[in-house]
Amino acid sequence: MVSNGKAVHSMKNGFLVVPFRLPASRFLPGDESKHHYMFVKKHQSKVENEQSCLFVVNIPLLTGLETLKSAFNKVCEQYDTVSHIEDLFYHDEFGLREVDLSSLTSDLLSTGSPEEARFTPRNTALLKFVDEASVNNCWNALRKYSQTDESKSIEWQYTTPSISTLLDFYKPLPKDYLKEDIAEHMSLFEQREQQAQEDVQSSLVDEDGFTLVVGKNTKSLNSIRKKVLNKNPLSKHENKVSPPSAVDKKSRQDFYRFQIRERKKREINQLLVKFKEDQERIKDMKAKKKFNPYT
Amino acid sequence: MSGVKRRVSEINDLKTDAPSINKKALLDHIENTESENKLALESKDNNNTNGDDDSEEDAEEEQESKTTTATSSRGQNNGTAAQDIHIIRETAELFKSNIFKLQIDELLQQVKLKDSHILKVEKFLHMLHDLIHEVPEWEPKTIAEAESFFKGKVVRIPYVDPKPDPSTTNYKVDYKTPMISLVGSFALKAGIYQPQGSAIDVLLTMPEQLFEKKDFLNFRCLHKRSVYLAYFTHHLGILFKRRKMDEFLQLEYSYFNNDTLLPILKLSCKPQDSHISDYNFHKTKFSINLIIGFPYQIFDSKKLLPNRNCIRVASNEPNQSLPATPLYNFSILSSTTYETYLKYLHKTKKQTESFIQAATLGRLWLQQRGFSSKISHSGSLGGFGTFEFTVLMAALLNGGGNNGNKILLHGFSSYQLFKGVIKYLATMDLCGDGHLQFHSDNQSSSKYVEEGFQIPTLFDKTTKVNILSKMSVSSYEILKKCAQHTLEMLNDVVRDQFANVFLTNISKMDNFRYDLSYDVVLPNGGKTKPEELTNFTFGPTERIKFITLENFLVNKITNVLKFALGDRIHFVDVELVGKKNTFPISKRRANYGTGNLLNFDFVRIKLLVNPSESEKLVTRGPKHSEEPTPEAVHFKNFWGSKSSLRRFKDGSITHCCVWSTSSTEPVISSIVNFALHKHLSEGTRILNDRTKPLQSLLPLPNLPASSKTSVLNLNSFYNLKRSFDDLYRTIFELSLPLSVKSILPVGQAFRYTSLCQPVPFAYSNPDFFQDVVLEFETSPKWPDEIISLEKAKTAFLLKIDEQLQANNSYKTFFTRDESIPYNLDIILLNVLTPEGYGFKFRVLTERDEILYLRAISNAKKDLVPELERTYMKFTSKYVASVRHTRTLETLSHSIPYFSPVVRLFKRWLDAHLLLDHLNEELVELIALKPFVEFSPYSVPGSVENGFLKVLNFLSKWNWKEEPLVLDLVKPNQEPESSSSGEDAQSSEKMTLAQFKGIQTNFQNLRKTDPNGMHVQFFVASKIDPSGILYSNGIPLPIATRLTALSKVAVNLLQTHGFKKQTIDLLFTPALKDYDFVVHLKSPFPLKVSSGVLDSSEFKNLANDKLLNSFPSDTSSLSRRMDPTYQLVKYLNMKYKNSVIFFSHRYMAVNGGEKGDRNVITGLIKPYFKKPQKFKVNMDCNSKPVDEQTVELNKDAIFHEISAFCNELLVKFDID
Repeated sequence: MVSNGKAVHSMKNGFLVVPFRLPASRFLPGDESKHHYMFVKKHQSKVENEQSCLFVVNIPLLTGLETLKSAFNKVCEQYDTVSHIEDLFYHDEFGLREVDLSSLTSDLLSTGSPEEARFTPRNTALLKFVDEASVNNCWNALRKYSQTDESKSIEWQYTTPSISTLLDFYKPLPKDYLKEDIAEHMSLFEQREQQAQEDVQSSLVDEDGFTLVVGKNTKSLNSIRKKVLNKNPLSKHENKVSPPSAVDKKSRQDFYRFQIRERKKREINQLLVKFKEDQERIKDMKAKKKFNPYT
Repeated sequence: MSGVKRRVSEINDLKTDAPSINKKALLDHIENTESENKLALESKDNNNTNGDDDSEEDAEEEQESKTTTATSSRGQNNGTAAQDIHIIRETAELFKSNIFKLQIDELLQQVKLKDSHILKVEKFLHMLHDLIHEVPEWEPKTIAEAESFFKGKVVRIPYVDPKPDPSTTNYKVDYKTPMISLVGSFALKAGIYQPQGSAIDVLLTMPEQLFEKKDFLNFRCLHKRSVYLAYFTHHLGILFKRRKMDEFLQLEYSYFNNDTLLPILKLSCKPQDSHISDYNFHKTKFSINLIIGFPYQIFDSKKLLPNRNCIRVASNEPNQSLPATPLYNFSILSSTTYETYLKYLHKTKKQTESFIQAATLGRLWLQQRGFSSKISHSGSLGGFGTFEFTVLMAALLNGGGNNGNKILLHGFSSYQLFKGVIKYLATMDLCGDGHLQFHSDNQSSSKYVEEGFQIPTLFDKTTKVNILSKMSVSSYEILKKCAQHTLEMLNDVVRDQFANVFLTNISKMDNFRYDLSYDVVLPNGGKTKPEELTNFTFGPTERIKFITLENFLVNKITNVLKFALGDRIHFVDVELVGKKNTFPISKRRANYGTGNLLNFDFVRIKLLVNPSESEKLVTRGPKHSEEPTPEAVHFKNFWGSKSSLRRFKDGSITHCCVWSTSSTEPVISSIVNFALHKHLSEGTRILNDRTKPLQSLLPLPNLPASSKTSVLNLNSFYNLKRSFDDLYRTIFELSLPLSVKSILPVGQAFRYTSLCQPVPFAYSNPDFFQDVVLEFETSPKWPDEIISLEKAKTAFLLKIDEQLQANNSYKTFFTRDESIPYNLDIILLNVLTPEGYGFKFRVLTERDEILYLRAISNAKKDLVPELERTYMKFTSKYVASVRHTRTLETLSHSIPYFSPVVRLFKRWLDAHLLLDHLNEELVELIALKPFVEFSPYSVPGSVENGFLKVLNFLSKWNWKEEPLVLDLVKPNQEPESSSSGEDAQSSEKMTLAQFKGIQTNFQNLRKTDPNGMHVQFFVASKIDPSGILYSNGIPLPIATRLTALSKVAVNLLQTHGFKKQTIDLLFTPALKDYDFVVHLKSPFPLKVSSGVLDSSEFKNLANDKLLNSFPSDTSSLSRRMDPTYQLVKYLNMKYKNSVIFFSHRYMAVNGGEKGDRNVITGLIKPYFKKPQKFKVNMDCNSKPVDEQTVELNKDAIFHEISAFCNELLVKFDID
């Protein structure tokens, strides 16, 4: 274990273990040896935006860019180096954006290629530095820091919400802000829609000169409904019964003798099957001692 | 046992031509079906699949199947199948269904007596038979001589009261060898296995020579019998001792069927450590009743008719005729007829193949309902046991209709016989309007006579015995009700009611069966003398009529309660608690030597309440008239000072009593108190420490006179609805770009189920803002993208807001809604009405559903479950909530106790920190179970009963294997309700196809999730056949905890009783079970601003605190909200993967005296209790163990929580 001397400095898959001492709390037994551990690795990606980044796992509660900046700067200070942090990406502490409903319902509002709509797993983020030098400085400092004795580690400062912060969740939304936001969004949406409409109409003219004007998600409700209704999770467990077709409805089922005979045979078979089922059920119930009137 | 054997063979001789009779019966059947026989069982309509219309086809088919059986003798395989089919068909007709028959077969197998046990006890009986013959005969003795004989001996004479006076008694007592015979079920071979053991009845008939013609008068024959019994006991004891059998044999006196006039000797065995005797039948759990009978027709049976007097007492007025002594007469007459009925039943048994099976079904049915042959005049249910059931069945096999037409036929199956008897009990009145007469010698057929004696009557013309003499009227009423209920269950083709009919013991715990119960302690307990009960007289006439003071008291209390409570109750059952029925042979009677005058400790009153009438304020008596009518005089005398004259709206002037309601006690409690004090004695104490503590747990609204408001009063809800109606009209009148199609209220208060009652301006209450769904007329223009759609909706809400602003009375503001996961753009319009209520509007469009479904179909596979959950959340919030609210609102009106019960259940859940994890709709549906699927009990008629049944259901619900299917229609308790109403109801009822469909859904669900890891509670109804709408996404630990808690609760109540202390325990959360507990305290107490009144507060103090306005700035509303809710919400979101957090949702109710406290408790998921391989996507706060593995960093988590709770934290407990 960490406390009994053989501290782990880095994980096998290349992550540095970066400990921070937990601050003393009035309500919890204080102990110097208790730490929070972040796991850091250099991020490698072809995406232009994600160059010179560190991949950070297990970021403490309510940590924003500023908190992380100051903590990492303290580490760098210890080793007399500087690094400049630019931004914190994909940090979704409460999992609010795990699913992007908008892009799943329509491609109108998504910007650019689908690869862009990525996110990192929960409890991880990308820390972007201004340049490659900053990353390297910070990485080296962190490596040295992770090697040192844990008792010398820096104390973490939690961001704590006040009661009024919590109560602010109940606050009404300013109406002016709402109006503005909606106006802005709707104009963007209309513009995109217009654009999409035009794209479709201009591109899909076939050899005969006919224009196809049906998009991926067509706008006629009924046609869409048919397409997606079988996805309803509430009817997932139902036995599907196909409605009788027009032909079935018209033809008589008891016209020929063989039809009647077949029907009777079917009925008898059903009866027999049901009886066998019943017997099985009774056996099952008997095994579970369901017939004791004195329990 | 030769005597017994001979007797049985005699009976056999009588009936050698049984088969021919059988045939005759079948012929009768054919005739009867053609005659207008209303009562005969239509076996066809039990047939659940085939209707009557294809009966012709049936006949044809039958022929066909017969021919196949004939032809199939060549092909073996074919043959068995055809035969099978034939049998299957037949059982489907003879029984309710095949499965029902199979279940009956299994049940009968289960309760069969062990052959080895029978052999063992028979061996003893043979020996006993020989031994009895060894008892020496005696010479006639006077009472004084007999008494001196017993002086210095162990055995005492079990005289019945009053003891004979030796100085004035002239007749002689004697002992001559009796005739011995075996009677009762054991003789009929109709006995069944019972865990508490069964009794074998052995009849010793006193020889004729011991009696004189007039011995039936004035207890004479009874005293003769007492001496006979004592002498016999004395010598039997000596004989046993001589054979060294006294080591294991136990001799006791007992009252046969609790009849104090009929002492018997009871033999049972004690276990032996070593040298177990061959005759020791302890292991068989049998006991032997030695009953002393009188010879048949020794007395003139006409003189012992129920309306004759046979106890002559000195009367003050010489001309006054003495009252009849029905109990006494019956006791004597029935002592002469044991053998007669054995023969009668045996004969019927021989004729009827399924007689014994049907008798066993009847016995089980009666046992599960607490009925027995014991006399019910001294309290409890009784007077109708297996004997009475079989006699009735025998009588019905020989007629029973209005013209003596047969109700049952000898060829019937056990099920048909059983159902026939139940149907007869359910539909025919044997007490008020008519009675059934039969002939135990089968001279002529049984006949229903439309003449009621106001006592239950099943009259044997041959012996002049009324078989139902032991039954009191109230006992009969309850039996009839049970039969009606059972008949309904047997007619139910949708559900399998087998367990409810035969397997569930509903008499096990009174609190389940009855709605209210009170313990009545007389001024001096069991030592109370009749003189101390000042408010009535118990003189000689009462004594000869009721025989004992106990019987008189039971009758008195029953009558007083019935009159006092009237239609507020359905039934009353009075039990004498602590009554002894067996006593040592060294004592004269049961309460001898205890110092008690009365043979009981206290009286328990058990009531079945009529919920629609129970809380009315006025008890209306007869109309006022110039000349006082007898009814008016009786009313005035009964109520005394409480009675007053009132003029009603229709102008009539009526005698009545006015009561006051209370939030903690039903009106019935005050009436019971008043009536019993007035009519028994002022010193009587009426105890009930259950109703009040439990009802006090319902949060009291901070409204004027709320402590005087009945739990059934829904005015606070109606006020909210009225306020909503105004708002509804206003919005409909607005002119909007798209007109409003519907405004659908879906909040809990609209269906009367919110934990706290709505209180104006009490905006801290989490349920203050009631949900409303708003729909516009259809439009193709809604955006086809979810964020834009939500924005467009908000634009419409803004329009509404704009126009509402013009109307000065409403205050409005907007908030973000988080109820649908991942949809962060839902905006709600909140409206505060001038009456002080709040509503939040959300918009539903026809496009929403499509978009959520499309998201599922477009999503990657790993996201699908999350999106399905989102879709279901949306459906439950926007679509199903409308149906749910409407259905429950309607139902609440016909089941008044649902609202308080569900609110109490929510309180219990919140006390145990579970409410926040369960959908409110799910909670409501679970609480609805005992109301709509109430069989075999009745619909709850009190808060305590409803609440207990909810817990009981939860504790028994094996959700892995059983779905909960609810038929959300008004429970039909009155089968005789008008036919037109029934038609309307039956059309709403769930059909077999719907029920089957739901079951299939459940089976399919369990195929994919056999252990219920994903969905535990399957709760379906017609409005939600999926069964998973409200229960998906509940973490497994929550479901198992709910089951475990309810098990503990029911167990606690069963072992320690349902009283104040246990109720307090019931609502105390077990914080020790969690991994950590965080105690929080908010600087702003929420109790007052949530509109919750402390029940201990003074009224005038509370009035000052009445809320009367909203803050002028809507943004300051947030200052009186619950900060801990947000805290827990975000904690659950952050640690979703590794820890589950619990807390009270209603700080005002469960947050201490002021409503400023809360706790957050947590359970670490088991998966994270051991080290894990380090992965980037493991999503938990971890610390390294070695280079590859990590473990949950609890310390860091605790520090994070403590940092998050910050100012609110007062204590952090780590397990």
